[in-house]
Amino acid sequence: MAGKATPLPEAPSPGAGAPGPSLRALPSRNGSIRVTGLEHTYAAAGRVTKALEDIRLDIAPGRFVVIVGPSGCGKSSLLMMLAGLVAPTAGRIVCGGRALTAPDPDLVGVVFQEASLYPWLTAQENVEFPLSLRRVPRAERTQRARDKLALVGLAGFEDRYPHELSGGMKQRVSIARGLVQNPPVLLLDEPFAALDEQTRISMGDELLRIWEQTGKTVVFVTHSLTEAAYLADQIVVMSARPGRIVDRVEVDLPRPRTYAMMGTPRFAELRQRIWEQIRSQADG
Amino acid sequence: MSADASTRGAAATRRAGGWAVWLGALAVLFGTWQAALSLGLLSPMLLPPASAVLATAWDLVRRPDFLGDVGVTLAEVAVAFLVAVPLGIALGVAISESDYWSRVLRPIVFLVFSIPKTIFLPMFILAFGITFAQKVGFGVFSTVFIVLISTFSALESVKGDHVRVARAYGATRRQIALRVYLPSMAPVLLEAVRLAMIFNVTGILLAEMYAARAGLGQAVATWGQNYMLRELLAGILLIAAAAILFTEAVRWLEARCEHWRT
Amino acid sequence: MADTAVRRPAGAAPALRIAPRTLRVLLGFCVLVAWEVLPRSGAIPTLFLPSLSDTLAALADGAPEYGRHLLFTLRAIAVSMAVACGLGIGAGLLIGSVARLRRIVQPLASGLYAVPLVILYPLFTAWFGIGPQSKIVFASLYGLLPCLLGTIAGVQTIDRQYLLVARSLRATRRQTVLRVLLPAAIPTVLTSLRIGGALVIVGVVVAEMLTSAEGIGYLITRSRTLLDSPRVFAGILLVVAMVFAFDGLVRLLDHRTRHWRLSTRSGDGGA
Repeated sequence: MAGKATPLPEAPSPGAGAPGPSLRALPSRNGSIRVTGLEHTYAAAGRVTKALEDIRLDIAPGRFVVIVGPSGCGKSSLLMMLAGLVAPTAGRIVCGGRALTAPDPDLVGVVFQEASLYPWLTAQENVEFPLSLRRVPRAERTQRARDKLALVGLAGFEDRYPHELSGGMKQRVSIARGLVQNPPVLLLDEPFAALDEQTRISMGDELLRIWEQTGKTVVFVTHSLTEAAYLADQIVVMSARPGRIVDRVEVDLPRPRTYAMMGTPRFAELRQRIWEQIRSQADG
Repeated sequence: MSADASTRGAAATRRAGGWAVWLGALAVLFGTWQAALSLGLLSPMLLPPASAVLATAWDLVRRPDFLGDVGVTLAEVAVAFLVAVPLGIALGVAISESDYWSRVLRPIVFLVFSIPKTIFLPMFILAFGITFAQKVGFGVFSTVFIVLISTFSALESVKGDHVRVARAYGATRRQIALRVYLPSMAPVLLEAVRLAMIFNVTGILLAEMYAARAGLGQAVATWGQNYMLRELLAGILLIAAAAILFTEAVRWLEARCEHWRT
Repeated sequence: MADTAVRRPAGAAPALRIAPRTLRVLLGFCVLVAWEVLPRSGAIPTLFLPSLSDTLAALADGAPEYGRHLLFTLRAIAVSMAVACGLGIGAGLLIGSVARLRRIVQPLASGLYAVPLVILYPLFTAWFGIGPQSKIVFASLYGLLPCLLGTIAGVQTIDRQYLLVARSLRATRRQTVLRVLLPAAIPTVLTSLRIGGALVIVGVVVAEMLTSAEGIGYLITRSRTLLDSPRVFAGILLVVAMVFAFDGLVRLLDHRTRHWRLSTRSGDGGA
């Protein structure tokens, strides 16, 4: 989507749902993410639970960061906060140089877990959905959605309904929907968790290819250590109760990544390191 | 232990909340009632004051003729219920027993279920005259299909895995029936009892209103025709209260069985 | 299941059995034949059950009269349906999506569902007379609760992810309701419409049967007091046809929303 780089004056602030200018590529906003002192507590059954504690993150534009941890460590909550969907109890999220307090689809695209496509819309209409909410003219909308579907390898499947697509294809549509507004940041919340092993690996490859083509900042949440080591530039390891970051692992495997790398000693070492971090927390 | 206590506490607050909702609804009902009167929206002829209606209700429940009507209706309801529920369950189990016959008959049962039973009431009068048997017959006819369908879904709610586990540990047919099927089906069957009672009571009251010599439905219809609105409203309130209390009691039982379902 | 052994066939299906569908058609045919033959042969008194041909003859015979009364009934049904389903579904959507409201209304509505509403009809005739008004009020009320309860429950089953996606895209409240909540609720709304609508039809006819001077229900009751069984059955047949026609119509609509239902994660309990 090189043609999208036409410089435009930055819109003042994305008024909630206001029919803003149809093209808001905002080239001045990059995909950096900085999180400081983030905390999240919630009250349930008359008890206050600390879900996240002292989260710091500093993600440079264009990086592929994977957050991994046991279930209940709050990694999905953290992602929801990065998407502006959940307000943190304390702390600050700065994205693209501006404090993030509400969902901003021009800045952050989100890919949810399975079944987040609207079943009453076709693949094409699902990808168009974010644009149609902002009243982007029909012709432009159609073209942009078509381009994104082609990018994720689904050219020719525009008119299928979600139930006519396989699990992997559905998640491709989700990724296309996340990318259609051309946000510099893409967040993915366990997007391949419901897929079988083979599909999962090939979807990982697809995602890496798309990432390399588009240069987005990617934050990817998973509980699979293999997936984390295979995809990431950096792995953020979290522990549960309270959710804290216990390790940051730089992955120095060369790119492009290949399936064969999973058999290398370096890969095993990385996995081992993450596993030990998670296990020691769980045992303690 | 504290967690247990807290969930029990939560259940208690929920129950208290339920009472509050009903009390609030009653307050709204009587409030609008009095407001409609004092604003002159309805004449006291058409809507007697709530106090008068409640006094009439208190009076009614001590009047032998009214109690006689209640007795007739209760007898009809009870007999119809005692026939329809076992009949429905037995038919449902029998049909489900064979894969083939359930594939043949189930769609027919669902089709018949979707036909409103009430319009067949005149047929029962043609066949049985205006008698106790006609009321009971119509009550059974109104009820049996909902029981049948609930039995289907109750049988479906039994998890194949649970049966296989029992079989793997050498449970006999009887043991499987009593210790796997019955507990799994209990909540659904209780719901069936609740629904069956609603269908049954509606059917019998309608039959009494349509043509009868005694019974609550007949009393209500007569009061309406003679513009005896005090008695009519009192009767409606009493019947409604009884119906709500009965279903809430069954629902409470249902909730207690709910933990069997996983 | 008399003579064929009902023991579970282990694996292979027995070769002699007819396909269930064929057997069903056959059974239906047998019922029609029995309906004709049993009353004619005198096995069942014709007062209880007039033969099929007599019933159809009565229907053809009284066609103009049935048509006039049918029109009257249909008018009352149309108004009641609009009130019951419009109000029930509209309020259901609202109540289902506002948790605080739902916690108050749901237990009340399902408690009231237990009340045999027929007993209210004498009150309505006292208030509104025996014309169409009392029927419309009664039938509207009769169909309202199932519509309301069904829609509330339907909104509950909407996948929360759908709303999360909308929120992440900064959809306005209006957009969320119109473009997410409403389409997501359509399958359940149609189910509620099917149940509520059938009850509205029955409500009008039953009310006419009880006290009226017009309508199909009135014709049925009049024929019954005259012991004119064929005409009673002709009326019943008409009402059943009406219910089936309505049911078929809603099913047709329902078929167009199959994309919704096929892709819900855990499959929903229709029927």
